[in-house]
Amino acid sequence: MILYLSTIILLVVISPLLLSFITQIKMFITFKKPISIFQGYRNFSKLMSKETIISEETSAVTRVAPFLILSPLLTVLFLLPPIVKGAYYVSFVDAFTITGLISLSTFFLMLLGLDSASSFGGMGSSREAFISALVEPAMILTVFSVSMMAGNLGIGQAGVNLASSFPQKHMASFLFSAISFFILLIAENGRIPVDNPQTHLEVTMIHEAMILDITGVYLAIVEMASSIKFIIFASLFASLFMPFGLQFSVPIALMIFIAKLLIICIAIALLEVSTAKLRLFKVPNLLGISIVFAFLSLITFYVLGA
Amino acid sequence: MFLFDTLSAVFTVLILLGIVPNLFYAFGYLPHIKRKTHYLIHYFGFILSMIGVVISANALVFLFFWELMSLTSWQLILTEPKDKENLFAARFYFFMTHLGFVCLLLFFLIISNGDINQSFSALKVIASHFAYPTLLFFFLIFGLLSKAGAVPLHVWLPYAHPQAPSPVSALMSGVMLKIALYGLFRFLFDILYPWPLQWGVVILIIGAISSLVGVLYALSEHDIKALLANHSIENIGIILIAFGMGMIFDTLHLPLLSAFAFIAALFHIFNHMSFKSLLFMGAGSVLHQTNTKNMEKYGGLIKTMPITAITFLIAAISISALPPSNGFLSEWMIFQSLLSSSHINIMTLKLTIPFAIFALALTGGLAIACFVKAYGITFLGLHRSTNAKHATEVNSLMKTGMILMALVVISLMLLAPIYIHYFSNTLISLGKADVYHKIFPHGIWQMHSVGVNGGVVSPLILLIALLGITFLLIFAYKALHVKERIYKTWACGYRTSSRTQYSSTGFAGPIRRFFTWLYKPQEHLNTEKVKGHNTIFTSSHYAVHVKPLFEVSLYTSLVRLTNITSYWVYRFAHFEQRRYVAIIFNLLLMVLFSYRIFSHQFSWATFAIETVVMIMTIKILVIGDKK
Repeated sequence: MILYLSTIILLVVISPLLLSFITQIKMFITFKKPISIFQGYRNFSKLMSKETIISEETSAVTRVAPFLILSPLLTVLFLLPPIVKGAYYVSFVDAFTITGLISLSTFFLMLLGLDSASSFGGMGSSREAFISALVEPAMILTVFSVSMMAGNLGIGQAGVNLASSFPQKHMASFLFSAISFFILLIAENGRIPVDNPQTHLEVTMIHEAMILDITGVYLAIVEMASSIKFIIFASLFASLFMPFGLQFSVPIALMIFIAKLLIICIAIALLEVSTAKLRLFKVPNLLGISIVFAFLSLITFYVLGA
Repeated sequence: MFLFDTLSAVFTVLILLGIVPNLFYAFGYLPHIKRKTHYLIHYFGFILSMIGVVISANALVFLFFWELMSLTSWQLILTEPKDKENLFAARFYFFMTHLGFVCLLLFFLIISNGDINQSFSALKVIASHFAYPTLLFFFLIFGLLSKAGAVPLHVWLPYAHPQAPSPVSALMSGVMLKIALYGLFRFLFDILYPWPLQWGVVILIIGAISSLVGVLYALSEHDIKALLANHSIENIGIILIAFGMGMIFDTLHLPLLSAFAFIAALFHIFNHMSFKSLLFMGAGSVLHQTNTKNMEKYGGLIKTMPITAITFLIAAISISALPPSNGFLSEWMIFQSLLSSSHINIMTLKLTIPFAIFALALTGGLAIACFVKAYGITFLGLHRSTNAKHATEVNSLMKTGMILMALVVISLMLLAPIYIHYFSNTLISLGKADVYHKIFPHGIWQMHSVGVNGGVVSPLILLIALLGITFLLIFAYKALHVKERIYKTWACGYRTSSRTQYSSTGFAGPIRRFFTWLYKPQEHLNTEKVKGHNTIFTSSHYAVHVKPLFEVSLYTSLVRLTNITSYWVYRFAHFEQRRYVAIIFNLLLMVLFSYRIFSHQFSWATFAIETVVMIMTIKILVIGDKK
């Protein structure tokens, strides 16, 4: 139980580091002077010490929504597969619940965007609604196919099963669903081909547009929520699609897990510097690829058993 | 004549749960209705006929109450016959519902050998000897689903529901559509029992298509009640997916999974009744205060109508299937029964069901988008019109109705184990397996899927965790004593006004653009430009109209075909005598020529000459000169 709680706290603590780490690598590759890896913490503490300005057009939704954006994601942290051996884990909760909790958080984020009566907020919400609607089927199909290979619909148990007995003969469908999930990881977290979290351009922004009109502690909470969402997806990817390292002792397993997270970060950073952001109406093509791979994975699993 | 078994009991409970809050609301709404007696007579007649349908024991009584239900609801749509639209909607509804009635009547006439005054159990014997059970099945689902509003018989729904007074819309959408599904349970289980596999697949496909079509057309609506009506189509589709899965599992001899899927269908029937009634009540309150159904004229109503806004939010979360709401629980069950399809041995079926999963998941995603739109545009932001500015909270009776319905929604979430136990008992009485103890093996905290290695969800723990964490966060925020300041919206320095907000048409823009092939939107842009300028304009008006594909392709073209046929029938009936003589002459020629061809010898040369002669005589004598 102590291990369980401490891993959750660890995940919360390192979540801003990962996003800063991605920015660091990107700046390093583009010959800029990299920011500090602790930039996430600095932003957080800066925002925490600011006063909160609330728009006069807003309603009670703005006062409640930031907490409701964060709390489903914090709940999801309790349901992730274990990252070290012997830790307690919630074995039974399935992907549909986790997707639902993430959607709940997005739902309130979209309402927050519409609440301040700014045209940017509406724009962000509209685009987010469009993308997250198309992410949902891909997400459910992908996780369904992985849990078929793992032999359990519960995410936690599936992670453990994959780590203890890796389904060698289902390698093909496993890879297909890994590709699909990686695209979802990018799309859900607003990384570059889908959204660019660094810019505030009217033509491109999605996530930033929704939170343009909140500040101070509320902004800190929403930023924290987006970094936690990233670490949820990254650790799901690490546990389900890189299922090794669980059998070692606690410190080594932890090191391996963090190494896996860093590898995912590096992959994303390399992808971000090498591709341009897609037009909004090209994003469905990317998500379509993800859906097709999810279907392929299922069909390969059923028909070929491979 | 009447029969009150467990299935009737379940649906009576459903009707009562839907009606009790609705009565409060309807009486709160009464002062705004001009023809009060007409309204009340039909309102209570409607309620009684719905109860009559579910407790009737033979086909005659069933059909009587079914028809009474149709007629009273038809009259209720005509409560305020203001304009052409209303009359059109009522006529359309009348036509569609009677088309369904004819099919049901045929169904009963066939399975009762003409004597429809027999009990349902007697009908089973005759039905089992009928040589073409699939014909019976199609009559049945055509009759019932035209009432339930499944694709392609859904076209009347988006017209009829918005035109009725709001409490009646809530009843029609929340309860009446479920009565049609009661028919599905009653007759498929009791009369047409051993189902071939294909029937389940047909229901599954209808469900998957309905759910997608419903939600897609809902997204493109900006009439709030039509939006909700389209969502009814979607939810009926979701229920049919569960029902179809139940039928498929039953024919494949997987009794546990089948019972699980049927429980999911019943549970979603209850959930849809609760949240859709609540949504229609909320929409009715908004409509009543602002005097418009157009969402573009709402905005900022949460400040003046808090009770409506909160209850609408509860229902919106529930219909979007977000955890831990009741809508989520039933959709979770439906997903679990779809995911259990890996137990099926038939490969084609196994490969088909992921498409249903895809449809259901996409529906879920789009429903979230749609309700963010409906809630955000209606209740958040700035007032978009003076009507919205002067809206106030509705009277206390209507508020009571909404709060009671919200309590029904919450009870379905909190007391889910009790409801599921009840549904399970119902299915046992229908001869299905007992799965309650499989769903809740370790008390009420965890809900299990009955499939091997299925998923588990714990609604109460989720709820407690979410509430606990949220309150902890709020508590921490309060403890920080953050300085708060209220100031204008920043919006990058633009001045925000009600006209610069995103509209509902704009919100659905990306989705409308992505699904252009389905919507085929007709866009109208009128801009009055300042002379000599290309970009500066004084006024601009943009309207987009989405073509309902099914209505255009199936119904309007049918009407057109009928028109053309009747035109030609008329033409033939109104010739001058000279032309009739010419036609007779031509027929004579044709008989002679064909006699020669068929019974003597055949040569291409004479055939060609004869054809030319025929064409010439028809052209000259029958058709004549073009006027």
